[in-house]
Amino acid sequence: MTDQSAVLQDVRQGMIPAHIYNDKEIFDLEKERLFSRSWLFVAHESEVPEAGDYVVRRVLEDSFIISRDEKGEIRAMFNMCLHRGMQVCRAEMGNASHFRCPYHGWSYRNDGRIVGLPFHQEAFGGEEGFRKKGQTLLPAPSLGIYNGLIFISLDPDAQPLEDFLGDFKFYLDYYTKQSADGIELRGPQRWRIKANWKIGAENFAGDMYHTPQTHTSVVEIGLFREPKAEKRKDGTTYWAGNGGGTTYKLPEGGLEDRLRYVGYPDEMIERMKGQWSQQQLDVIGKDGFMISAASLFPNMSFVHNWPRVEEGSDEVLPFISIRQWQPISENETEVLSWFAVDKNASEEYKALSYKAYLMCFGSGGMFEQDDVENWVSLTNTAAGSMARRLLLNGRMGLLENGENVVEPLTPEQYSGPGSTRVGYSEYNQRELLLRWADHLERPARAAAQLHVGVDSVSAAPAACATETAPDAAAAVPAMTSQEA
Amino acid sequence: MTATPVNGMTLSEQSVLGAHAPRTQRTGQSLPFNDELHLQAHRWLVDEAYLLDAQDYDEWLARVADDVHYLMPVRVTTALGAGYSTSPGMAHLDENKYSLSRRVARFATEHAWTEDPPSRLRHYVTNVRTFRTEKADEIVAESAVLLFRSRGDVGEAATVSAGREDLLRRTGTGWELARRTIMLDESVIRMQNLAIFL
Repeated sequence: MTDQSAVLQDVRQGMIPAHIYNDKEIFDLEKERLFSRSWLFVAHESEVPEAGDYVVRRVLEDSFIISRDEKGEIRAMFNMCLHRGMQVCRAEMGNASHFRCPYHGWSYRNDGRIVGLPFHQEAFGGEEGFRKKGQTLLPAPSLGIYNGLIFISLDPDAQPLEDFLGDFKFYLDYYTKQSADGIELRGPQRWRIKANWKIGAENFAGDMYHTPQTHTSVVEIGLFREPKAEKRKDGTTYWAGNGGGTTYKLPEGGLEDRLRYVGYPDEMIERMKGQWSQQQLDVIGKDGFMISAASLFPNMSFVHNWPRVEEGSDEVLPFISIRQWQPISENETEVLSWFAVDKNASEEYKALSYKAYLMCFGSGGMFEQDDVENWVSLTNTAAGSMARRLLLNGRMGLLENGENVVEPLTPEQYSGPGSTRVGYSEYNQRELLLRWADHLERPARAAAQLHVGVDSVSAAPAACATETAPDAAAAVPAMTSQEA
Repeated sequence: MTATPVNGMTLSEQSVLGAHAPRTQRTGQSLPFNDELHLQAHRWLVDEAYLLDAQDYDEWLARVADDVHYLMPVRVTTALGAGYSTSPGMAHLDENKYSLSRRVARFATEHAWTEDPPSRLRHYVTNVRTFRTEKADEIVAESAVLLFRSRGDVGEAATVSAGREDLLRRTGTGWELARRTIMLDESVIRMQNLAIFL
């Protein structure tokens, strides 16, 4: 593989080699070094509310069954039969007590345990030949849940999820914990765009600068009242932990006035007051900022907006959407976009919030449509030879000497954690790309091959490490899969 | 294949945004192809396809009833016998006249970049079956539609295949669309967005 250190060096200066948005070598590195070790969102607990409920989600080419077993535990299992590798679940969602491989009939409980192995005695000589007891579908190497958001990592030694989220948890709560019972998700809508996955993540992380141009049409038709140029830049960008996002400046008033301004009904406001910390409430009520879009490294994003959804009314109504930019290749991304809503909201609110989401974002959303047009065009052009000569200037907010155009807000001005600034900048996009560059420099963790059904075969050498990382964990011994 | 009622309810009625949707359902066998009602419905669908291809959206909207419910559910792949193949509570498009009118109004601005330059569109409409309903002035029309969409001068064109079930209502000035349920044939759409109508 070509040495990419010059690329990473440029990225760290805020100068972005344009070809990283359509480059197979870069994508291969991302697969090997980034998506093999980062925490990745796969589902929300509300998608599998009952015992036996499952959804199937991918991490690039790897298919995982996310299920709730009979004891109510959330499981994430590699969707591949231990025998000949067939997918044991070929539906996207459903409810099942067992998954059975259609090839040779091995079957597994919804917690992953093998329960059926046809002709175990005749074909394998029973336990002596294939030790069935305690064998399970391969669990995701790491699994973590925050506010019902289910993440997995292919790295068995991933840092704890909450450490990875860090101060971004403060912001996650606005989207996912508006009341004690949290959110429920619907969807996802899924569609494929001919754009590199990083562009969407960067856009949602901090691109306030595009809204006055890209999204003029939605203001002109009366759908949205906010993104006028002079309005948008009064908001902040914040970066905290491994995620960051943008806010809108709210009009004068107290906490309740401001939450009403974006369309929250009083009963929801009351619950928010009981749910969020004083610091979280102060960002809105004291500092006057309302969270908007955000991204969590590497490929999860959020959006919170408040359009007009009914004819002849000035009322707006907020919606929340969660999405994932699932890489397909260097120039194609599958977008998964969910509608999220406070589980304790009224049915009427849920219906109108859903309407607001459909009109604005997702596969048919009127904001979204114009974004993707840009991203496809950018990706196309990034494939060419001229793009290899062009360093895109991603230094917005910085003077040439590295000093800030605008200084960060002080704790007196802004109550939330992280680094926060008013106005247009690309601090957050740079933060995402810094993490991206760090990953691309660190080889994939050595991972042991897993021998299933036998004890006597010795642990295999590292299977997929192309280089030995100094910090790579020692090869994990062959998994004996004692039942968890 | 299309919006067959489940538990006596159309998908339109099951939508949380479908309260206003006309409830009229088909009765009896499909009409013969030389039936006058069938001919009128077929003509309406073909004329509509021409309007959509030409992106003459004002004219199209004029043929849409004020109480329209325009629904495109999210299809999901489920096991045989699961009893559903659409994502519960989620759709790609779940529209009333107001939200359709906002979409049309957006195209008329100078800033709807996703259609500037405009896509080249071709709606292929076939397999038309029509049915009487319990109302004399309303008929159900089923059709298959294949949409070809070409954007820009490079890149692959996108196609979308779907089945539709429409409720057409006769008014003083002709037929209008009172309900449409669009069942896509893919669960992952291979098109950059749905800035089009099916």
